Amino acid sequence: MSLRFEHVGKRYPDGTIALGDVSFEVPPGQFCVILGRSGAGKSTLLRCVNGLASPSSGRVVVDGVEVTPATLRQLRPRIGMIHQSFNLVPRASVAANVIAGALPAVSTGRALLGLFPRALRDKACALIADVGLGQEHLPRRVAALSGGQQQRVGIARAFMLDPAYVLADEPVASLDPQTSADILTLIRREAKERGAAVLCSLHQIDLTMRFADRVLALRDGRIVFDGAPDALAQSRLGRIYDASWPEPCPLPEAVGA
Amino acid sequence: MSGIANRTVGGPSGEWRFPTAFGWRGVLVAIVAFLILFRTGADVEIGRALLQSGKGIAAGAGLAEDSQVARGFGAILGRMFPPQLAEVTETGRIAGFDRDRLPWFAHVEMQTVTVQSLDPETMRMVASTTQREVLVEPFGYLRQVVAKLVETLEIALWGTLLAVLIGAPLAFFGARNLSPHPLLVALSRGMVSLLRAIPELISALFFVLAYGFGPAAGVLALALHAAGFLGKFYAEDIENADPGPQEALRAIGANRLKLLRYAILPQVLPQYVAYTLYILDRNVRMATVIGLVGAGGIGLELKGRYDLYQYAHVGTILIAIFILVFALDQLSSWFRRRLI
Ligand SMILES: Nc1ncnc2c1ncn2[C@@H]1O[C@H](COP(=O)(O)OP(=O)(O)OP(=O)(O)O)[C@@H](O)[C@H]1O
Ligand SMILES: [Mg+2]
Repeated sequence: MSLRFEHVGKRYPDGTIALGDVSFEVPPGQFCVILGRSGAGKSTLLRCVNGLASPSSGRVVVDGVEVTPATLRQLRPRIGMIHQSFNLVPRASVAANVIAGALPAVSTGRALLGLFPRALRDKACALIADVGLGQEHLPRRVAALSGGQQQRVGIARAFMLDPAYVLADEPVASLDPQTSADILTLIRREAKERGAAVLCSLHQIDLTMRFADRVLALRDGRIVFDGAPDALAQSRLGRIYDASWPEPCPLPEAVGA
Repeated sequence: MSGIANRTVGGPSGEWRFPTAFGWRGVLVAIVAFLILFRTGADVEIGRALLQSGKGIAAGAGLAEDSQVARGFGAILGRMFPPQLAEVTETGRIAGFDRDRLPWFAHVEMQTVTVQSLDPETMRMVASTTQREVLVEPFGYLRQVVAKLVETLEIALWGTLLAVLIGAPLAFFGARNLSPHPLLVALSRGMVSLLRAIPELISALFFVLAYGFGPAAGVLALALHAAGFLGKFYAEDIENADPGPQEALRAIGANRLKLLRYAILPQVLPQYVAYTLYILDRNVRMATVIGLVGAGGIGLELKGRYDLYQYAHVGTILIAIFILVFALDQLSSWFRRRLI
């Protein structure tokens, strides 16, 4: 039971090489933060896990099953996702947005009619309460919420199916520092309660230090650091962020898995 | 402080050219557009239309003596007023006429009519007067018009309903981001264009041949054309919908129909309602027209009276149509305001 990248490379059709030979393994329940400059390949890496992008070489294995178009149907409901721009439907209610996270669990017919089983509706309510929203928010349109509240809705949606893995692509990029910390606390708590592993890309070093169990640093599509946040000394940060640094050379810490 | 000054001095002024609002290309387009307008304007006699309208308006305002347009309109309007409300029927022609059970507001009247007839002996036309008994219903004709109007409305309603039912799946298969296969996209789009290319009045002609006179032909004619319209516009909205929510739901494994229902429909619903109301509005107006070719509704009545030079009846019909369209317009804008 784990999430494993095996020599994953990703080259987009236009020739951009977003990932080159990435290997690592995330055990259940680990909160793993992915650092890296803009364009380092963080989003691409996350999207390879649930098939929104497909590796051009190597493979991603989730709980022993390789991610392929054929296995996506089976794998995707076990992988929740939290997005930088929330990706909620602004005109729909909080309740509708959250319960949409359970869509794979209901038949198409019931889904079209909006007939979700009692258990799922109760679960949606419980999650909305968990993320700190009140009953009065249930019928409210998402467009009427603040950014922080919207991301809370996004988190509730991501946990609807009790995923074993949660992908969070810069979940706090558009939020203020305090709200960012609150949101990460929330993601971490919900994940730990369920034993779910989290892959979370971030730009904030301080938040990384506070929340990560483990840090993966990417530079130009390669892993340049893999270890505990404490080991990520200031000197190492240069390798991740300094544009003038020459070719990324694998560090001793950057052992493939 | 000095940095700002430095930047201005060392800036790209002189080397860079700020894009101008009009270039030689704009001038070229303007010339071509003018030539096209000039040529096509001559073809459609736009000059004559403007000239005669101007004269007509001048005549109406008492500034000019005479105008063909003003005379034409004046003659028709004069005969349309007052509009026909009553219906007068000879009692002898009413099957099973029962003078003890008259319709509401109706009364029986003796009318003196002058009949021109040929005297067989002198071979001259002589006028003789005879008495005949008639049933007068003061609002009898209005009632007929209203009944026809209701039928028109029903045709429009069903034409719209069927259009939605046909247009929605066409949109689903015709939208590139939802369609299961590119071939289906091409097929739906072709279908949609074809449907839109056939005007209601033309298809109504054929449906009348196939289904016989009556509203069924009208409903089908309206439905098919409108389905083409809705199929196109529904599909465009699906394609232009924010991809964010769609990606979020695709990421957890929701299928196309669930995407449509939970990520797209909530976004596009106000637009869909607006399109559908527009189609209803258009169908009401078209439903008054397709009667001309026998496809039900008030159009047939209108054409019949027009051909008989019964302009007072025509007046009633036109006023009734106007009131209907106006009321519907109010209703739909109220509905739209409530929904959005
Ligand atoms: N759909 C795409 N087609 C072509 N190139 C892409 C595509 N998506 C990403 N790229 C390229 O791949 C590289 C990695 O992009 P990615 O989005 O993974 O970076 P990132 O680390 O998430 O950056 P950011 O912090 O700005 O989100 C970039 O050079 C980007 O331009
Ligand atoms: Mg990114």
